[in-house]
Amino acid sequence: MIYKCKNCGGNAIYAPEKGRMYCPHCESEDSEEQNPDDSLERCVNCGAPLEITDYTSACKCQHCGAYLIFNERVEGVYEPHLVLPFRIGRQAAAAALDQEFSRRIFAPSDFMSAKSLQKMEGTYVPFWLYDYDADYDYAGEGTKVRTWRSGNTEYTETSYFDVQRRMNVDFNRIPVDASYAMEDGAMDLMEPYDYQALMDFAPKYMSGFYGEVYNQKAKELEERALQKARLSSEQLMQASLTGYVTMRAYRKNLKLNGRGEHYALLPVWQYFYRYKDQVYEYHVNGQTGKVVGVTPVSRAKVLLYAASVFAVATAACQIAVQILDIL
Amino acid sequence: MKEYIRYFKWLYIILAALAGLFLLLQVGHWGTAKARNHQRTNTTCTVTERVFDKADVLTDKQEKKLRELISKREKQTGCDIVLITLKEPLAEFARMYEPNAASSEYVRVYAEQFWEQNGMGYDKPDGDGVILVDNYSREDDGKIHTYFSTNGRAFEAYYTEDIDRLLDNVYSCVERDPYRAYKRYVNTFYHDMLGWRTFHVSVPGSVPWAIGLISAVIFMFLNWRSRKGTKTTTATTYVAGGQPVFRVQTDRFLRKTVTQRKIESSSSGGRSGGGGRSHGGGGGHHGGGGRSR
Repeated sequence: MIYKCKNCGGNAIYAPEKGRMYCPHCESEDSEEQNPDDSLERCVNCGAPLEITDYTSACKCQHCGAYLIFNERVEGVYEPHLVLPFRIGRQAAAAALDQEFSRRIFAPSDFMSAKSLQKMEGTYVPFWLYDYDADYDYAGEGTKVRTWRSGNTEYTETSYFDVQRRMNVDFNRIPVDASYAMEDGAMDLMEPYDYQALMDFAPKYMSGFYGEVYNQKAKELEERALQKARLSSEQLMQASLTGYVTMRAYRKNLKLNGRGEHYALLPVWQYFYRYKDQVYEYHVNGQTGKVVGVTPVSRAKVLLYAASVFAVATAACQIAVQILDIL
Repeated sequence: MKEYIRYFKWLYIILAALAGLFLLLQVGHWGTAKARNHQRTNTTCTVTERVFDKADVLTDKQEKKLRELISKREKQTGCDIVLITLKEPLAEFARMYEPNAASSEYVRVYAEQFWEQNGMGYDKPDGDGVILVDNYSREDDGKIHTYFSTNGRAFEAYYTEDIDRLLDNVYSCVERDPYRAYKRYVNTFYHDMLGWRTFHVSVPGSVPWAIGLISAVIFMFLNWRSRKGTKTTTATTYVAGGQPVFRVQTDRFLRKTVTQRKIESSSSGGRSGGGGRSHGGGGGHHGGGGRSR
């Protein structure tokens, strides 16, 4: 399928800055109409052959530049329940990336000028969002210690407590990416997304972007979501066990009951830069602008700064010692 | 350069603040020293010499310089400052006064006897002052012993760790440059007596270097590789209502136990009448409040 402008026949796309459909040819807004013609082999706009993967659900025709959405990959079992439309456009994403680069002071001095952009694209990444009810039953023995002196004797009082906790947590929409192409670690660092902006899926949001269907089913990826839920449950439980010097658990039962999962498309800008024969990949959260990716490091710069740290720290300590000496 | 300054801004501000504080204290310190001009009130003691270089490790010129320095420092500190170098076995001498004295104690006995017999002290006989005795003759244990004795106000001002620090200063160069070492003795004593002496902390000279090195290594470790990004989710990011619900949350007292232990009095916090040590003997020797090298 392709969205065309009713006014000029150009390819209408979703404009994140405007939050609506837009025709870049005649600048009309909300003038789109859906052309349902569909083909996985050829562009429905110009007929040029398409090179897509088994998971591609939306792409750009390399010949005519039209954005295509493949019906059979956004319908039926592949129809997403939810979509988080892009809020950050191409320029804003590039600006966020530049700002991040300027913060990374150990990047080589010529990185900004010498790097060359290989590819940039906005992609709707398939995610499974899992809901769980957590029931955590905890029992343990905690100790509190008080010490005091009387004469030349030091007393240590250790008080023992029976600690009982029963905690319920409703986890909503724990995200796990379902794309082989996206690195799990990078996708985890993209979080969090603001779910308030989640919407019922409509294919028009994909016009102007790339997209994938889920590469793996919800059941196959559930362990990652469970891990996140377990970790959060443990942290929340630990946060409630404050004030004790030691804590020995003798009962810990965490039950996580799944309440279901949602198939959602979340927005990510992908940038590929080449610098000194190496390609660096960056991801920008298409909603919040958070940047994830590794920049090259100038070891000489790090050594120079470390030498400064050494000099300043040593000098500061020397002066502090001299002050102590005087005092 | 701009980015360098921005990055280290706070570090340099802290350094400058410390340097400023140090300068202020130092100015106060100098002011105090200048303002002080104690008059010696001990009329019984007739000994006017302060440098007894019997081991002949100092040149005449060095002795003269030390005498001048001591004369100035005595007025500023209000304490007699005596230096004796020897090159003679003290066993016989020491055993006359303390028959059971160990070889490490001989210099102590000598220093104390010298002080008492000559009625040394700036304010009165056996009064305020210090004496450093460095005996270059090896005793039975094969070591060269040094003793630093404090008396009167100096005794009150000096804690064991201060004595250790002073002897550290002396010992760091006594073998290769005795004049410099004894000058350090006089100046360290002067400095200590003029300080406010709130903290009796002796920080070894290598500690600031070690802290600098550790900081630099940690810094390098943290920045050697670029990080992908920072985690911005928390335990409650996906929790409905932003917090868990506790159906049970009880902390029930069970029992208590009380243990006690005797606190051993530590020598490091107390005052000490003096500290001895040995040099040139290859280490391993301890005496008084001192350490060996």
